[in-house]
Amino acid sequence: MTTVDARGKSCPLPIVLLAKAVRTVDVGETVTIRADDRAFPPDLEAWCQRTGNQLVSLDRSAAGHFDAVVRRS
Amino acid sequence: MLAIEKDTHQPAPDDLAPIRRVLDEHRAALEGLASRVDRLAQTAAEDRLSLVVFSGDLDRQLAAFVMATGAAASGMHVSMFFTFWGTTALRRRARVKKDLWGRMFGSLLPRGASQLPLSQLNLGGIGPAMMRHLMRRKGVCSLEELIATAAELDVNINVCTMSMDLMGLERDELIEYPNLGYCGAASFVDIAARSRTTLFV
Repeated sequence: MTTVDARGKSCPLPIVLLAKAVRTVDVGETVTIRADDRAFPPDLEAWCQRTGNQLVSLDRSAAGHFDAVVRRS
Repeated sequence: MLAIEKDTHQPAPDDLAPIRRVLDEHRAALEGLASRVDRLAQTAAEDRLSLVVFSGDLDRQLAAFVMATGAAASGMHVSMFFTFWGTTALRRRARVKKDLWGRMFGSLLPRGASQLPLSQLNLGGIGPAMMRHLMRRKGVCSLEELIATAAELDVNINVCTMSMDLMGLERDELIEYPNLGYCGAASFVDIAARSRTTLFV
C-alpha cells in the first residue's frame, strides 16, 4: 500500500504528492495520504472529482491532521 | 395474425423528383453542419489553464506557479506565458555577450528566481529574505522547487521573444527547463482561445 505523508506541507504540495503517488499504483489500488493543511479536505474532494479518482475515506485524527484514502480509477 | 400485404405500387419517375429534391436539400444541410462541427472542434475550449506571467515579483510568481502545479496535478494541461518582468524568474547566472542596453538591463534586473523582489514589504531586499525564511519554516515550497515541480508535471513554459529582445535577454541565460519554448502574441492567443481559463499574473 502506498502512503504519503504531507504533514507540515502546504498548498499545492499535498495534492501534487497525491497526484504523483496515484500515478504509481495500478487502477483499483489505493493510496493513503496524511496531511494537515486546512485546505486539504476541499482540495482533495475537488481533485477527486476532477481526476475521476475515488475518495474512499477522509477522517480527521485526534492529533488534528487528516487521513484520506483514495482509490485510483 | 397480421397479414402483410406487399406494396405493388411502382412509383412513376415523376413521383420521385420531389423526393430527390428534398434529399439533396438535406444532404447539403448535413454537409454544412459537418463542416461547422469540424471548425468548432478545432476552436473548442480544452481542459487547459493558460497563465500570463507578467510580473517579476516573488509573491506573484509564487501564486502563478502554485496555480500551475495545482492544476497540472489535477490533470489539466497548463501553459505559462512569460512576458516583460516575468521573464527575470527564468534567468540564471551565465556569461553572455550583450550590447550596452542589454548589459544595463541585465545588471539592473534580478538574475533568476532567487533574486526576485516582493511586490509589498520589499524593504530593500530584507522582505524577500524574511519571506523565504518563513516559507521554509511553514512548509511552503520555494519558487525554485515549484519550477522543478512544474517541469515534472509537464507544465508548458513559453517565453515572449519580444520581451527578451527588448530587455536584451539571451536564450543562453534562461534556466534549463524541459520543452521551454519561445512564442509571440499569436501563439498565446491561439492557446488562450482554446483554454477554459486564462489568468494574468
